[in-house]
Amino acid sequence: MKRAVLAFAFLVLACAKPETSAPANTSTAPAATRGAASTSKPFRVGLLTPGSINDGGWNAIAWEGMQRIQKELGAEISHQETKTPAEFDEGFRSYGAKKFDLAFGHGFEFQDAAKKAGAEYPDTMFVTTSGSTVARNVAPMRFRLEEATYLLGVIAARESKTGKAGLVGGINLPSIASTFEAFKAGAHSVNPKFEVKEIYTGNFDDLGAAKVATLSLINAGADFVFHQANEAGRGVFQACSERKIRCFGSNKNQNDLAPDVIVASAVLDVPGAFVRMAKTVRDKQFKPEIQMFGMANGIVTLEWNEKLKGTLAPATVAEVERLEAQIKQGALQVPLGF
Amino acid sequence: MKRLLIAAAAACVALLLLALSALAFGHDPRELLAILVRGSVGSPFAIAGTLLKSVPLLLTGLSVAIAFRAGVWNIGGEGQFIAGALAGLLGARYGVIVSLLAAMLAGAAWASLATAMRLWRNAPEVLTTILLNFIAIHLLGWCVNGPLQERAAQYPQTDAAAATLPALGSVHFGVVLALAASIGSWWLLYRTAEGLRLRATGLNPSAARWAGIRVSAQLARAMAVSGAAAGLAGGIELLGVTHRLFERFAAGYGYAGIAVALLAQLHPLAVVASALFFGALTTGAGELQRTAGISSGVATLGQAVVILVLIGVDYVRTRR
Repeated sequence: MKRAVLAFAFLVLACAKPETSAPANTSTAPAATRGAASTSKPFRVGLLTPGSINDGGWNAIAWEGMQRIQKELGAEISHQETKTPAEFDEGFRSYGAKKFDLAFGHGFEFQDAAKKAGAEYPDTMFVTTSGSTVARNVAPMRFRLEEATYLLGVIAARESKTGKAGLVGGINLPSIASTFEAFKAGAHSVNPKFEVKEIYTGNFDDLGAAKVATLSLINAGADFVFHQANEAGRGVFQACSERKIRCFGSNKNQNDLAPDVIVASAVLDVPGAFVRMAKTVRDKQFKPEIQMFGMANGIVTLEWNEKLKGTLAPATVAEVERLEAQIKQGALQVPLGF
Repeated sequence: MKRLLIAAAAACVALLLLALSALAFGHDPRELLAILVRGSVGSPFAIAGTLLKSVPLLLTGLSVAIAFRAGVWNIGGEGQFIAGALAGLLGARYGVIVSLLAAMLAGAAWASLATAMRLWRNAPEVLTTILLNFIAIHLLGWCVNGPLQERAAQYPQTDAAAATLPALGSVHFGVVLALAASIGSWWLLYRTAEGLRLRATGLNPSAARWAGIRVSAQLARAMAVSGAAAGLAGGIELLGVTHRLFERFAAGYGYAGIAVALLAQLHPLAVVASALFFGALTTGAGELQRTAGISSGVATLGQAVVILVLIGVDYVRTRR
């Protein structure tokens, strides 16, 4: 018992030592930033993610955006992986208290916390990736991938020989269904009778299910396939390569994954949107409204597979490029599913 | 008492090891500890953060402690937490009290499913409770994408609950409820005949049976109380912090409760200190990531180290 108490006392002392040095640390750190603020205040940007930034997907692209903000704007960046909902508030309020210029919350679930922190810290801008909550210093970013998927629909309808196309989705989420609606709208703008069938596999990582879904669409006569299945999209490309059916890539430039069948990709540059957003805040151009990112500001693009572009009818390519220009000018409004 | 001292020492050792891990990230260990302390108890803001995270940990910790005391391996805190939150959301239209009672009932009911399977087919709780977690997680996912989705039908989340816990400064009334639950659990375990029977069952079920205790009924009641505590945690988190449900709502509080209970040596009053320790660790880890760029995963690492140290100490003690 005595030994245990001794050991405990030792440990308490060992623990206590850094604690006493803590106030010294805290007093110097803010002083340093205050000193910097009087000369040239660094532009500071924080990010809250709902998961690990090493996930190779949703959170990784946000972190990529932050790194570009650091490099291109010379900003000081900070990040927190929020493990619990209580940390949504805490993270935002901490950035607000430290007078960060901009704090991102990477997901719709950060909206309530952004609104609360926004009211408390008027000098910090709080931006959520997707969402609909807007306040004086709070806004969501929304991406119009639909503008590119609309064009894919146009290509499919103009180039299809069977008059049918297939869509393979992971989970039926509003954001995904919306890109499919735009694809259909594009196809129907060419040929109102064009048939588009869609299948949702129910997840984003089952390549086999995506492949089977694609094969069934091909068997039903589809000679163009577009997917929104993230990782499982590779299953779509496998099926299309085997059956020599043309298809499209989504979100990233996937043309190289199956260069013999992928005609084009609808590309969404999320990191670019983060940089654009940060620039807007830095230049004091922030407006409290839904921040739309589409073809007009170069965040959404249609990337042709140069190898296959020549196999399409020149009229199709010309038409798509004409529509693309119209979308960029705002002359053509692509319908959104929600 | 001695066991609690050992646990406190284990917590300190874990902190030290954690600080040493800073070397791996190229930081000064003392700097890491300083940020941890500053970020968890160094300001009123930090203390509020620590308290907010301690409340669900305290209740899920109690849940585990009560079940383990009775000898039942209830590791289904996560599922009971979710069941409680779902019922709490539905009950919220009738006020805070009804909502929290519904949360406790639902947590108890979800835990009792495991008891039912034990009585019916002798299925071990350690298996059924963890499987019920996954069912609850998917039930929540279905609810927020289906019947309970917000009226705007845009995102997979519910509308805000109709009731809110009263605020206590920058924290909520759940702090008081959690403390009361801790004292209540202590009273139940150490000051009532029911508690004596429960502990006797946990220590030696055969002896308890010979002493005239109806062991299976005793286990069923312990499991229900344990589930109610986890369900209450879910209800309080809903009405006090998130105000709505979404898929990542539970965030592992049910599992973290196991570490909380083990560090507290399954003592209901020590669970308070243990929950505060882990709450502070999580909050400090957030600050650590924001200011020093060290992954907030160190909080999880801290939980693991505490448990490993405790197991190590137990091993040494039993061998001596």
